[in-house]
Amino acid sequence: MATKKLRRAKLSQELCERLSRYQITTCQDFLCLSLLELMKVTGESYRNVQKLLRKVSLACAPKMQTAYEMKVRRSINPSAAFLPTSLHSLDKVLHGGIPCGSLTELTSPPGCGKTQFCITMSVLATLPVSMGGLDGAVIYIDTESAFSAERLIEIAGNRFPTYFDSDEKLFCMTRSIHLYRELTCDSVLKRIKSLEEEIISKKIKLIIIDSVASVVRKEFDTKLQGNLAERSNFLARGASLLKYVAEEFSIPVILTNQITTSLSNGLAIPADLVSPAHDLSLSEGASGSGKKESACVTAALGNTWSHSVNTRLILQYHDLLTRQIVIAKSPVAPFSTFFYTVEKSGLVLQDGKNLSNLPWEGTNPALQTIQVRNTALGNALLKTTDETPGDTPSP
Amino acid sequence: MQRDVGSLPLSPALRARLLAAGFQTAQELLETGPCGLSKEIGISREEALEALQVVRQECAGDAAKTAGGSGSTRKCTALELLEEEQTQGFIITFCSALDNILGGGVQLTKITEICGAPGVGKTQLCMQLAVDVQIPECFGGVAGEAVFIDTEGSFMVDRAADIATACVRHCQLIAEAHQEEDHLQALETFSLESILSHIYYFRCRDYIELLAQVYLLPDFLSEHSKVRLVVIDGIAFPFRHDFEDLSLRTRLLNGLAQQLIIIANDHKSAVVLTNQMTTRFGQNQSMLVPALGESWGHAATVRLIFHWDNTQRLATLYKSPSQKESTIPYNITPQGFRDVQPPPVTQNAEGTEMNPRKRPRREEEK
Repeated sequence: MATKKLRRAKLSQELCERLSRYQITTCQDFLCLSLLELMKVTGESYRNVQKLLRKVSLACAPKMQTAYEMKVRRSINPSAAFLPTSLHSLDKVLHGGIPCGSLTELTSPPGCGKTQFCITMSVLATLPVSMGGLDGAVIYIDTESAFSAERLIEIAGNRFPTYFDSDEKLFCMTRSIHLYRELTCDSVLKRIKSLEEEIISKKIKLIIIDSVASVVRKEFDTKLQGNLAERSNFLARGASLLKYVAEEFSIPVILTNQITTSLSNGLAIPADLVSPAHDLSLSEGASGSGKKESACVTAALGNTWSHSVNTRLILQYHDLLTRQIVIAKSPVAPFSTFFYTVEKSGLVLQDGKNLSNLPWEGTNPALQTIQVRNTALGNALLKTTDETPGDTPSP
Repeated sequence: MQRDVGSLPLSPALRARLLAAGFQTAQELLETGPCGLSKEIGISREEALEALQVVRQECAGDAAKTAGGSGSTRKCTALELLEEEQTQGFIITFCSALDNILGGGVQLTKITEICGAPGVGKTQLCMQLAVDVQIPECFGGVAGEAVFIDTEGSFMVDRAADIATACVRHCQLIAEAHQEEDHLQALETFSLESILSHIYYFRCRDYIELLAQVYLLPDFLSEHSKVRLVVIDGIAFPFRHDFEDLSLRTRLLNGLAQQLIIIANDHKSAVVLTNQMTTRFGQNQSMLVPALGESWGHAATVRLIFHWDNTQRLATLYKSPSQKESTIPYNITPQGFRDVQPPPVTQNAEGTEMNPRKRPRREEEK
């Protein structure tokens, strides 16, 4: 909308020509000038300039809708509002599943199950609406080359054995998952820009980017001056493009993120630069005394990125076999945790926990501490004699 | 009448010509008349007539201002202002602690800014206010409508519907308890459908759309004169990326703030903005500060900062012309923005035994 030419804003031809002599050709240029400057370049009086401003604003401004109209539109097509994750307790708390039209982020330490979750969601999106899917194709932007087609078929076959009973159906499903391998920030951004056309031509119903953090952290070293601003710029631009696409077509977008260690003096270091010998199990989220540096492991990419995503799910280790999925930020769901394991059919929830009284505690989603493998192991060793019946991991 | 020609709102070319011809005051122009003017300067008679009409309007406006008459002059005594302020309504937030520190709720005709970390509840409060502004007067509300300008895409209709349903339920309970005629009458028009249809939603994708929408807002508010709340959810988001020229950004933001102040005053509505937090790196520490820079801090009249203390959400009144700085806890429940429920405490004498879980309700002294 910003780059709309003034011609199309219904300004007169001679006015447009006069303005182009001052290099003012788009609505953006016009609206960024102050009133006095506008009077100078258009040669019009104060009142006329205000009328022109209103005309140009009309060309750029968004359309009004009342909240009621939005609700009615939603209720006409209820299945289009969420993509169920087939983890039933999670779906119930999330009011349906992964919301369509907004960004959902998945953060976890390495090896917790992010890619498994993404692969499972790809399968789900291709299922017909009657089975809870979106009956569409999937775009999977892979920056880590972690996607495995064999695992995809294994999950599909084991999770929905009755549906994927023939090879034909499996091939049909795999044909509708479009995989793109992007290895630099620039190519990821270019790919995101080209999404609009792809969605229309291929009838895409789900976009997955696995992972945003790896490609960003490879290229931007935040200790160097100026890199932090550039990184935020890239992330913000990517986020707003993705939001536009998500809302325009009303499809869910899933992004994955990595973890970082945030020291209490605020400086964050990438967790993978810290050798496993480091005791990462130093306190969880402490703002302790000023002298002692306590570290906590949180989601990477900083505060601004935490603002840009609408929903944040954290996968973390709980003990030797079970892991936890935490809803850290969601506009519709309270803070909650669920236990799961990774099996042949993908992620499987352990429904031992009592969900009827969900605690309203959570903390800042940007600083929510995440348990990594070492802390989980440490805790597991500490409480070998103290296991509650609900937590017994399945063999 | 003695107004200088250079200050009249004519087009610059015409102004330059008048000054070159030697005209100095507006009176001279009016005395010359359109024909004389057109001959002296070399413009057509229609143009001269138009210019004179503008001059006449300006002078009439000036005269009215010096006489101290019309209502658009914004001059009044402090007593009149006091009476106005006392009768003015507040938009309640359903969290009594927050309403208390704000002095009754979100004030009309003022700009309130809410800053906070991600996920702390800014959008929830905005949705709550968009519903609360519509509470009928007999229940203590201002019976207005709401404009919701969304730049981040975080407005969820289902959540707004939940909040609205809880609000209607709350009013129904009050009506049942008091059984007054006007309560029941008001409840007939106060329903989920009516609440949602009076939230006017605009989705602005970048800063140009936001600027355009704010330029058009006065016209919209004149058409919908019952609007008492304008929410801009995410004023920081469109301005935080793609801006190489920071001075342009400051200028645009200042212009935006001024327009919003004019809108708030002229249409007697509250303007609520939400801002993000950004990390500022100090010597050897970093802290979270509101985004958009120091100069933006002057734009809002009232500033609230929402933050976390471990698992408790807190709201701090950071800047207010009339209330004291204080911090209170709050909660987000399925019904919306609410108080923290203190756990039931057994009565004890004179507070000799401090229950460590009970949060002190006294305001913190800074």
